[in-house]
Order: sequence, then structure tokens, then C-alpha cells
Amino acid sequence: MISNLPPARENLPPPPAGEPLSSGSRDFPRGPGPGGGYYNYPVVRHPVWTWEVPTYFWLGGMAAGAYVTASLAQNFGSADDRRAAAGGFYVAAAALVPCAPLLIADLGRPDRFHHMLRIFKPLSPMNLGAWTLTAFTPIAFARGASHAAGTGLLRGPLGTLARLVPTRLAELAGCVLGLTLAGYSGVLLAATNIPLWAKSKLLGGLFMASALSSGSAAVTLQAERRGVRDATLHRLATLESAASLGEMALVTGYLVQSGKTARPLTTGRFAAPFWLGAVGAGTLLPLVLHLFARRRDGRRLRSLSTAAAVCSMAGSLALRWSIFEAGKDSSRDQEASFDLSRE
Amino acid sequence: MIDRYKRFMNLEEPPPAKKAKGFFTDTSLCIGCKACEVACKQWNQLPADGFAITGNSYDNTGHLGATTWRHVQFIEQAKANGGRQEQRWLMMSDVCKHCANAACLEACPTGALIRTEYDTVYVQQDICNGCGFCVPACPFGVIDRAPTHGQFEAGTAHKCTLCYDRLKDDMTPACAKSCPTASIQFGDVEELQQRARHRLGELKARGETKAELYGMPEGKEATEVGPLHAFFLLLDKPQTYNLPEIPRLPRKTMAQRYGWSAAVGVGFALVGALVFGGRR
Repeated sequence: MISNLPPARENLPPPPAGEPLSSGSRDFPRGPGPGGGYYNYPVVRHPVWTWEVPTYFWLGGMAAGAYVTASLAQNFGSADDRRAAAGGFYVAAAALVPCAPLLIADLGRPDRFHHMLRIFKPLSPMNLGAWTLTAFTPIAFARGASHAAGTGLLRGPLGTLARLVPTRLAELAGCVLGLTLAGYSGVLLAATNIPLWAKSKLLGGLFMASALSSGSAAVTLQAERRGVRDATLHRLATLESAASLGEMALVTGYLVQSGKTARPLTTGRFAAPFWLGAVGAGTLLPLVLHLFARRRDGRRLRSLSTAAAVCSMAGSLALRWSIFEAGKDSSRDQEASFDLSRE
Repeated sequence: MIDRYKRFMNLEEPPPAKKAKGFFTDTSLCIGCKACEVACKQWNQLPADGFAITGNSYDNTGHLGATTWRHVQFIEQAKANGGRQEQRWLMMSDVCKHCANAACLEACPTGALIRTEYDTVYVQQDICNGCGFCVPACPFGVIDRAPTHGQFEAGTAHKCTLCYDRLKDDMTPACAKSCPTASIQFGDVEELQQRARHRLGELKARGETKAELYGMPEGKEATEVGPLHAFFLLLDKPQTYNLPEIPRLPRKTMAQRYGWSAAVGVGFALVGALVFGGRR
């Protein structure tokens, strides 16, 4: 627990030479801090999660966004839309493959991962998420397999089995579960006492928007390689732009609501990944590129859509990662903790 | 049917509820001897945390954590008053608050965190899978996950058990037992609350105007997490002891956050239906 304390404000004398101390770190803050609390010690604990968690949030969100986009195209789109977007089911299935292993790897006791499912407790976002992932993964695989069987990619007994999948039902159930998967991650972080995560009401919505923009971008990216028509690309671009616009509005609202609490994110070492990655590449750049692509067609349109899709997907990862990591710094912010508990 | 299921699953009936047990920590009596820290470590066989010099008075413990379930704070401050220098030296033995509405317990996805028959909050070490969600959920920064490597129940969450094993044998928890000044008092929560109110009145009458209770049912700190079953008599504002003014219970704002999340999802589906609209 010693390693969880913030870095020293003044330099402590160097540790004595010879035997290393048994505790890893000696970074105790010395003297009073701006919060007016007990020295400058943190009020809340340092989150123990590592890179697996934001990576999982990103992939799970993208899978959900791709599945929802593909389902929307199946049910409302033209024949071209349906053919081009159906690859979204493959994207969803592929992105879900590493999700459960990532979630398990982050546990303190990975051998007990199945304890997550020994009870059903939706009050705990962690439990809800584990169940949602468990239910969504087979549905995404089944829907992907049924499409593969339809195009003749999947033959033999497996193909026959895949043809039995009720597609409409799989799409409806997958959309509900997918949106839950995309929507719970931000709420999970917000359901803590880490000031950066908990102060604003909008983190759940922001992660949802980011999941949908990156998911629809992934559908565009795969559609381009499947001989998609220009009209479909334009429609996908409109959908992506809507999600990016929503994401931009939500990130603004999130920062306004967080106020001074957002400092670990907006200044310092996470400023570049957040402003350039999450905001710049994740929302601004795709919007501008789609604006340019509006009246283009053919190769021009394709290269602009590709660039926008890649930016949106990368920005989505930058958003999860920077907010997640900056939350660890925020947990050391005694002033922000007191501010949060005063509301 | 249910009985057969219970027998098949080896489910036991929970023990009958007892009177709520807790701690009243009266900081006006604390002398900073750290006997509670040591007794807790000894009884619960908690490993040492290594040497560290914080440079902050006598506090070299730093924080509550997976292997530190009592932590004595030392608030040693000097203030110039006219020509004279005034000193104050406050001590406080911090511990898990065993909240009536515990954020850690609500966050726990496995059911490892339970409420015991003594109305305390307890981590079942054979159930916890170390997901780590309780750690940032606690508004007091109490519970922590033990490092994955190490001898001590590695990788799972730990905090004060209110000496559940000792309670089972009608014994006083180790820290309260070892406290030489009765700063840590153990007993039925209701009776302790009466005692605390009486003690506060006594101190106020003696001129300790800044004294206050923290964690009582009537206190504003109980608005979200409820009365604390380990509560405190403080000699200054809660902040001085790193205690939040109104500890937050994440559940209270969760519906609203899900609401925003759902609104975005439904909005996207509607836009999608319109964009692809009717071309089928």
C-alpha cells in the first residue's frame, strides 16, 4: 500500500546503501497539501487495475458498435447496405475473442474467474458486465457463423447448424446485450470514488458514444475491402459522424462537469493522448474527413473514409486509456476527493 | 424442492442475526502507542509492510491497506499565536468503518463481500477472485487487494474483519482488547452510540468546543453510507483526519449514469434506422 501514495513533495534522504528495503517504494508526500487533510495522503485507494481493463473496454465497445451497426443495416438498409455491413458481425466476433482473456488476466486470482458468475447481481456493474459478455459473445459468434453459412464460407455440418440461427432474434438480442456491454464500462468506472471517474454524470454516455463511433468505423473499414458501393459508404459516414458528434458533445459536457477534478487528464502526462488522441483523432479529425468526403466518390472517398475510420478507432482507445490511467493520478488528489464528497 | 437444491449445493443456513457489533474510537483518549496496529497484525497474522520513513510525525504506517487494518494517525502541528507558538498533537486510530450501506459490498461481483450476523462487512477469502472493484469503490480508502505475489492470501481483497473469528467465541477484537486507554471501545453499536453522545457532552462541557462525532445515524456523513459501525469522536473537522465530509455511495447516482448511457445507445439506433431508412 505504500507504493500507492503520491510522489514526495520534497526529496527524502536517499535510502541507506546495502540491502534493499522490503517495501518497493518510499514515495510518501511530506507535509501538508492543498486539500487541508491528513498531510497530503490520498483519501481513496489507488485502483489496482492495469492496461487489460481499458483494452477490454475498447475492444468490447467496438464489438458492440460493429454488431449494432451491422444489425441496423440488416434491418433497415438496402441490399448493398446489408451485404457491405454484414462483415460487422465478423468484426464483432473477432473483437470479442480477446475480451474474456483480458478480463480474466486482470483478476488477482484468475483461476477463480468463474466466481463472477456464481451470483447474478446487476447492482454491481462488474457482475452485470461479466454476464453481458458471457451472453453476447456466443450470440455474436452465432450471427457471424450464420452469415458465413449464407455466403457459402462455412460449409459442412457446422454450416448446416449455423443456418439454423434465427437471425432476426440474434440481431435483436445482440443489440440489447451489445449496447449494455458498450454502456456499462463508463458506468463501472463512475460507480467508484475516484474523482475523475465519479464526478461527472456523463462518463457512461461518453464511453457508449465512443464505442459506437469506433464500432461503426470498424464496419466501414471492413466494408471497403468487400467492394462496397459509394452510397453505402456515405450512409455509414453519416452514422459515424453522428456518433462522433455525440462523442464530442459528451466529452465537452464531461470536462465541464468535472471542472478542476479533470486536471490529471487535461494537463500533465495524459494531456497529449487525451487532447490529440481522444479528442483530436477520435472525434475532430473523422468529422473533418467525412465533411471532405461528402461530395467525393470512388478512390478519393475510400481513402478519406479509411483515414477517418482508423482515426476514430485509435481515438477510442486513447480515450479509454487516458481516462483510465489519469484516474489513478486522480485517486491521489486529496483536494478532488474532498470536493467530490462535499456535493 | 428448494431444500433438495440446498442439500445438493451444500448450502448452509446463515447463522441467526445477532446484535450489531462495532467500534467507538474516541480519539481524545488515544496516546498513539500503536498497540492496536501491532495486536491486529499479530492476531490476524498480517505480514510486515517494510520500513519506510514518511517524515510525517510518528506515522510510518501511511495508510490502511490489504495488510494494515488499523492505522494510527499523528497530526502534529505548530501554529504561531501572537508571540507564542502553539502545538497540537492529535492521534487517531483509523479502521474499516463497517458502513451500514457498504460501497465495497455493493460493488462486489462475486458475493465474496458479505454482511455477517454481527452486521459487519466481511470478505470471504475462498470466494474473492481479486477483481479489484471494491478498492476504488470504498469512499474511505480502506479495502485493498494484496499483491498477486506474496504469501498472504495473494491476489484477493482484504480489510478489517472486526475479528470475526474472535466474535464467534465471544471475544473482543484484538485492537480493542489491547488498547490501554479505552480509546478503542468495542460493543453493541447502539450502546456505543449512547456512550459516544454522553462522552461528547462531557468533552464539550470541559471546553473541547471543536469535538464532534463522526459516523452517527444523525450525522450528515450518514446520508449515503448510513451509520458507521466503527465510528469516531474527533477533536477537529473530519477533513483533518482525512475523512470525507459526506462519504459517497456509488449506487446513489448509478441509475442516472446508466440513463445517459442508454440515451446515447437508443439515439444511435434511431439515427441508424433513419440513415439506412426504408431502403430494405
